[in-house]
Parts: sequence; structure tokens; C-alpha cells
Amino acid sequence: MQTRIISLLVEDHPGVLTRMSGMFTMRGINITSLTVSPCEKNGLSRMTVAIKGTESELEKVRKQISNLIEVVKVVDLKADEAIIRDLCLLKVHTKDSGMRLEVMLLVESYGAKIMDATLDSVIIELTEEPKKIDRFVDLMQHFGVKQLFRTGLTAIGRD
Amino acid sequence: MARVKLSGAEIVVEELKDEGVEVAFGIPGGVLLDLYDALYKEDAIRHILMRHEQCAAHAADGYARVSGRTGVCIATSGPGATNLVTGLANANMDSAPVVALTGQVVTSAIGTNAFQEASTFTITMPVTKHNFLVKRTEDLPKVIHNAFYIASTGRKGVVLIDLPKDVLADVAKVNLHTKETFAGYKPNIKPNIVQTKKTAEVLANAERPLILAGGGIISSDATEELRSLAELLGACVVTTLMGKGAIPENHPLCLGMAGMHGHLCANRAINECDALLALGTRFSDRLTAWQLDQFAPDATVIHVDIDAAEINKNLPVDIPIVGDVKLALADILKWLAKQKKMGDKSVWLQRVKEMHTTCEDCIKDVRRAGTSLSDMFIKELSLLLDGDAIVTTEVGQCQMFAAHYYMTKEPRTFISSGGLGTMGFGFPAAIGAKVAVPDKKVVDIAGDGSFLMTCQDLATCVENDIPVVVCILNNRYLGMVRQWQELFYDKKYSHTGLGATPDFVKLAEAFGCYGERVEKPEDLKDVLNSAFESGKPAVIDMIVGSDDKILPMIPPGGGIIGMIGTERCKHV
Repeated sequence: MQTRIISLLVEDHPGVLTRMSGMFTMRGINITSLTVSPCEKNGLSRMTVAIKGTESELEKVRKQISNLIEVVKVVDLKADEAIIRDLCLLKVHTKDSGMRLEVMLLVESYGAKIMDATLDSVIIELTEEPKKIDRFVDLMQHFGVKQLFRTGLTAIGRD
Repeated sequence: MARVKLSGAEIVVEELKDEGVEVAFGIPGGVLLDLYDALYKEDAIRHILMRHEQCAAHAADGYARVSGRTGVCIATSGPGATNLVTGLANANMDSAPVVALTGQVVTSAIGTNAFQEASTFTITMPVTKHNFLVKRTEDLPKVIHNAFYIASTGRKGVVLIDLPKDVLADVAKVNLHTKETFAGYKPNIKPNIVQTKKTAEVLANAERPLILAGGGIISSDATEELRSLAELLGACVVTTLMGKGAIPENHPLCLGMAGMHGHLCANRAINECDALLALGTRFSDRLTAWQLDQFAPDATVIHVDIDAAEINKNLPVDIPIVGDVKLALADILKWLAKQKKMGDKSVWLQRVKEMHTTCEDCIKDVRRAGTSLSDMFIKELSLLLDGDAIVTTEVGQCQMFAAHYYMTKEPRTFISSGGLGTMGFGFPAAIGAKVAVPDKKVVDIAGDGSFLMTCQDLATCVENDIPVVVCILNNRYLGMVRQWQELFYDKKYSHTGLGATPDFVKLAEAFGCYGERVEKPEDLKDVLNSAFESGKPAVIDMIVGSDDKILPMIPPGGGIIGMIGTERCKHV
């Protein structure tokens, strides 16, 4: 099993997302993450899809996606040739000032930001590579993560 | 084209005419009143009123496969559209070009569970090549043009257009007949020149070349090229079910259909060849069976298909070629002409010749020892029609008897539900076929189980003067399932007995059709002639044995050379 990131340029039509997700369902592939957003071209949207599967499964599904009429362009993004980012918001339990200080130190060393704080919790934002976010979240579990939100990854290829 | 002011319904009709549509199979409904009002005034489009939407889709499918043109079907919102779904899935699985128009509730009511509302757009998404839900009348010209363009190019398929009532009723100023297309749709047509050259080298040097002809040969009209290549090369040709008709089955190089219910010799040849050129086929499980190590184990496999997603999907291949099979064959022929050295194919040709002769003799020998009534009726039918007819089939035993014994001689004359395996397909497909080619005899090889699923459209045949002939292999069972129960489930015939099946002769007569029962294959000739001469739609009820089996076959889990029931085929 491996993860592959596919960047798609799609027509901005109603139903495109259903068509796309339906394709994965039909072919028995699990989507790890999916983001949709406007892009530099009018009338088109960009989708970044992370999928998990064997090499041959992923190759098959990539070809099926290319077949969709509303897909204008398909780009495979390899980790070392792309900048990949995920945004994470998490609410961490800080029951005393000692914990709060410890959390703040880790926040600083990860390049995260504290967006809000109360006496017993802080809200942290971290935009990073997915794996680094995983590590940060693991650390925060130590204090107690009350809520976790991740946007799913987006990625851009290097020239 | 200048801007014109028309209602949505009028735009639809104008665009259909511009796409060359001459016939549509459909059923009207509340939300389609405007469209049918526009059709009422229109002489250029013949509308055939069906008795069930599933049949409308199958008829459009049959029309498309026989004529090579895009078939059109129409259904209303809600149940009309959901009834259409099986037919659309069927056409799409077999890559038949069909455009379906469905009515939809007014745009403001979409999502409110309005009367006769169903989300046709989402329901049909997985069973179509593409679909549209039109929200604005002014979008109609582009949508309709692209529906036909997408359905009829690349890997052909089904495109559905969902038309809300207000979109059809509203008037808009539009430019008709736009040729604007979508940026994301560019079918791969031209094959890679390096790959076709490599293919020619492999084929020239091979000693036991085999061509596997799929439905792609027929849909791209490449039968001439196929025959030239086979003859130039001295390659034997086997076909898939969809490929029946790609080459005349009495051609000395043809070994007939391969696969689970194919000819033993065709399957042997696949196992023995040293170069396999697969053309316009997707290596379905009914062809390759399940032991892939028996499928062309010693061969260099070349796969030509217009759909890149089919390459390496079911079978890993050595030389992939994405493109139109007609163009690929032309290139391969061109490269082959430049080949100086050819491998010695004489031993192989001798073997192919022997296999062809024994197989053809068996098919022509109607009363061969050990032959069942079902075998005999279809062999007899094959001799009587002599390839000069269009044969459609239902699904199950009747389909496989037809595939096995009916000798197809021309492309687009054997029409069967290959991918979806839809019982009830053959009869409405025959209606579409007869409408496409009224001068040709059209025969549906049916089973009693299948025919009952769509037989109400006998009324359509009578009303519209569409004299197709339905030949029922009547075994009073869902025969194929029964066969499996007999062979693999200890003869426990769970719910396959149809019990008191209707009197099909009286059923035919009730509709105003010609009906006749035959119990002896030798009587078929007279009955068939009377049926054709009656000029009416006809039902011929051929009484066969309940335990007739279509053999040989590859049992579940088996491989291409693991056929059972081969006692009658000892010669190969």
C-alpha cells in the first residue's frame, strides 16, 4: 500500500465532486483526503486527492479519472517534487499553567500558532506537511486533544 | 448560425435533427409535454412509442449496434427515468452509442420530493459515460451537441440529458448548432507508431500468431483490416462474444468464439499461440476465465484499445497500444509489408485448418450424436438463416447456444448483452435492429424466462409494423442457473423452475402476432418461413428439454483449457 497525490483540474460544474467520488467508490479505492478550491483559471477548479492503494490499483484509478469528461488535466505529484501542505486546527486541554507553558514551547518549536486561549484550553493552528502534523498531534495527545480539524492536503508541483 | 428565439423543446428537436437523428424510442409523461408537443409537428424524426422505458433504452441500443449510429431514447421523470436505468447500464457496458433524454420536474421543485421526481442525474452517473442536468434553456445547444459527440467518439457509450420541465418550456435566444466542445474530452485516436512497428515485428516473427477480435473491431468498422491482417499473416482469429461478426465464422482462419462457453478449439488456440494480438477487447472474466496462467502463457501479448483505462486492467500485456483499432490495424499492415523475414507458420496453419474444419462440421451436423434439442434448434436456425439475418439474443443458455452454434457472417448482425447480461434485452434490441434495417430479417433467440421480462412490447411491434421473429428455446426453467445447480449445486433446483409458463402461441395471438409451436427441429424450416411470410411480428415456441445444457464450458474458477463437457469435441 502506498499513498499517491493526484492534482486535478476540473470543470467547475455542479456534480463534479459526486462524479469524482463515485468513481473512487466504484473502483473500490479509499480516499485519504480530498480538497476542492478555485484556481487560477476561470471556470475550472483544482482538486487534490490523496488515495491509498497498491501501485497497480492506483494506476488503474488514475486512468479512470482521466477518462472523466470534466477532468481537464491530471498530474501525479511525487513527494520530493512537490510542496505539500495540510492545515490543522486543534483544541488542546491545558489544565494548569505548567501544561500551558509546555504546550507553548512545543507550539513554538513546530512553527505553529496559538489562535485562542482560555484558562483550561488553547486553540492551535499548524500548517505543515501532513507527517509533521501527525507528529505534532501525537505530542498534543499527551496533554489531551479535545477537538481536531484538518483541511486535508493540498499540493503544488515544483518547476 | 444566426441567433433564434425558440422554446427549450424546440431547441432540443432542432439539435436532434442537426445530429442526424431520424428515430427515437420513448414514452411521454407529464414533464415532457412540451417536448412531445414539439415532436408532434416534426416529420423528420420518427418516434416509436414503447410499452416500457427499459425497452426504449434496449431498442435504442439495438438500433445503435446495428446501424453504427447513435440511438436515442426518451423517458419521463421519476419512474420513467428509473425504468430506463437497466437499459442504459446495458448499452454503456457494451460501449454502444446511445443518447437518453429524460424529463425532470421544474428546477424550482428539484430536491423537494415532487411528484414523479427522482434524482436521475445522480442515479445514472455510474451507468453512463457522461450525463447532464440542464439548468438553463440557453445551455441546450452545447449540451446536446456534446452528448452526441461524447456518445459516438472514443470508447462509445451512453450520455444522458436530464431536462427539467421549465428548461423545455422557457423561450431563449440561442445560436443553434454550436460545435463548441469540452476541454477535458479529447479521445485518443492515433496509435503510437513505435508500438505498431514493434507489433508488426512480433507478429512477423511469430510461428503461432493469434488475433483476438473484440467488439471494438465492429464498432470502429475495422473488419476489412482485420481480415487482411489475418490472411497476410496466416494468423488464426478467435472472437469474444461482442466480437462475433468481426470475421465471417466460416472463414478458414476463424475458430469462433473463445471463453467460458466458447469453442474448445478457440480456447486451445489461445493457450497455444506464441503471439496474441487483442483488438478492441477488455479481457472480461467470461473470456479469460480465472486461471490467467493458462491464458496465452507463451505469447507476447499485444493489446489495442481506444480506452487507456483498459490497458493492463484485467491482463498484463507486453505491448500496449492506445488508439482506434482501425487506424492501428492500418499501421500494423503498413509495417508488416516492410518486414523481410517471416516466421514459419506452416505447422500452425495446418493445425488451425484441422480445428476449423472439425468445429464447422460439428456445427453443421444438426443431428450429431449426443446433441440436445436446444443444440439442434439453434444449429437448424443457423443453417436456415445462413448468416443473412440480424440475430439478437436474450441472456442465459439461449444466448450461449446462439453464440456457440449460430454462424455469424457479417459485422453488426449478432447483437447480445455481453457485459451486463440483461435478460429481456434481445427482444427490444430486435425492435431497434428492425427499425434500423427494415429490409433484413431480424430474429431474437430467446428463452422463456427472458422473453417474459419484456414481452409487452409485442404491442409496439404490432402498432408500428415491426415484424421481428422471436424464437423461444422453451425449457420451462431459468436454464443457465438450473445448469449450474445441476453441475455445481447437487441438483438442488432452487427457484429456477418457472412452472406454469404461458402458452406463448396464444400470447402472441393475443397481441395480434403470428404464433406457432415447434417440437421437432426438422419442422422449424416451415414454421420459420410461415412466420416471415406472415409479415407480422412472430413468436415461435420451440419446445426443448429442461435439462439441456450448453456445453462445453469452463467451470467457475477454471482456466481457458479447463473446459468440462468436452466429450463431443474429442477431435481437438
